[in-house]
Amino acid sequence: MTIIFHPGVMEERNGRWVQIGRKCSSCGKTSFPVTELCPFCSSENGEMVSLSRTGTLFSFSITRVPVGPYKPPIVAGFIDLPEGTRIFGQIHAAPDEIKTGILMTMKTGVLWTEKDGTEVMGYYYEPIKTDVGGAE
Amino acid sequence: MMRSVYVLGIGQTVFGRHADMTVNDLAAAATLASVRDAGISPKEFQTAFCGCIYSPPTVVESSLIRLGIGRIPMYTVENACASGSSAVHLLFREIALGGCDVGLALGVESLSAYNKKFGKGLIGIEGDLDAKSGLTMPSFFSMLCNRLIQERGATLEDICYPSIKNHKNGMTNPYSQYKKEVSFQEIMKSPMIADPITVLQCCPQSDGAAAVILCSEEYFKKNNKKAHRAPVKIGGSVISVSGAHDSSFDPLALEANIMGVIDACEMAGVNPRKDINVVEMHDAFSGEELSAYEMLGLCDAGEGVSLARSGAVAMGGRCPVNPSGGLLSMGHPLGASGVRVVIDIARQLWGEAPNQVKGAKVGMAQMLGGVLSGIASPVVAGVHILVK
Ligand SMILES: [Zn+2]
Repeated sequence: MTIIFHPGVMEERNGRWVQIGRKCSSCGKTSFPVTELCPFCSSENGEMVSLSRTGTLFSFSITRVPVGPYKPPIVAGFIDLPEGTRIFGQIHAAPDEIKTGILMTMKTGVLWTEKDGTEVMGYYYEPIKTDVGGAE
Repeated sequence: MMRSVYVLGIGQTVFGRHADMTVNDLAAAATLASVRDAGISPKEFQTAFCGCIYSPPTVVESSLIRLGIGRIPMYTVENACASGSSAVHLLFREIALGGCDVGLALGVESLSAYNKKFGKGLIGIEGDLDAKSGLTMPSFFSMLCNRLIQERGATLEDICYPSIKNHKNGMTNPYSQYKKEVSFQEIMKSPMIADPITVLQCCPQSDGAAAVILCSEEYFKKNNKKAHRAPVKIGGSVISVSGAHDSSFDPLALEANIMGVIDACEMAGVNPRKDINVVEMHDAFSGEELSAYEMLGLCDAGEGVSLARSGAVAMGGRCPVNPSGGLLSMGHPLGASGVRVVIDIARQLWGEAPNQVKGAKVGMAQMLGGVLSGIASPVVAGVHILVK
């Protein structure tokens, strides 16, 4: 069995998993995850949008001890999307492959497997290797 | 018109491991110490507030009944690491607005009890989106350290400086968990948690409680039995909560911290750059303290690293920060620390601190709580300005 790691954050659209945010029609900001009202201006007017798959790496950490289901070294960071939203996620790359400011792309897949064999699916990020021609 | 609010008495347990004590044992011990310090009967209290994150229900009632305190309104308040600050703030408001004349603000935590129940390890917030992606306090603060290096030109020595300074400051503190100095080499040789944060750049897990008795001016004049104590009042008291964050958010400029300090200083009529002689603050991580100097208004934005290098925040400097040893050396029983920073500033202004800042007249007690992970978990700062 496969489940999504957090309710409401992802949807399959046109055969592809995307992150779902809210674009507020009152203040114009895009928020993630979707909450009851816009977290910036409390407006209820807005639409559910799929978020950009690429962004720039704002900051990252390399954790050397286990955290929940993740085994060290755990690379994770904040990715800034063009719509002004900042998202935290696991980064699948060696520590020396990344630095702040580089382009990152969102991928989806199994984040961890529960003891009963349930696969937990979610999003994570990978650096875009521009020197080998690129994006996905 | 708000009334002036004075500190009448203080008490605390030693911070550290008290695996054989319950939160009620710890809270009762700190309260008893505070009433003995003030020289009043526990029956005098008209209300009580307690800060605690992981307590069983009715921790404040169950602790205070042991001292014969009952039949008054009591509340336990949770605001992460600013829980104790929130208890002090609520009591301050109650007295300042004329709701009562004397009361107790208490803070308590037993991480030994928490670990027994939930197991050890890094604490993630249950159900939090970012926690499920692996965000922890060390990983957030490691990103903050990396930004200090990138944006402020901090070196590893700069990042370790608060830990070295605070461990040294804590050597004479009888309530401290650690009484051991650490060198830069020892810090960097200790196990790595999240680059560049090593174990000796993190505060320990602790058990403990702290209590402060606040009162009105009239009550203070009648009951200040320790006649040698100069009146110390709470000049400013602010709980400052962040809004939602987007990609414009800079962890080196936390709005909750900056606005909390501006509001508390305005309330007290002091200028943080010129008037504050001593600070006790939330140094859960060494790099956090380094990043905070500018947010606390001790220097211009961007100047925190040079302020540290100038020696201004060390003992004998312009504004010593964490002369108690801070969370790094004192220990950090989460709910208790917000009260503990207030009582350490009171000690400084009374001239009773084990590591005394000479002639201190104005001090700041700050706490920061929350997991700092965007909209799922905002942050809260508690800021108190004490004035002699
Ligand atoms: Zn809005």
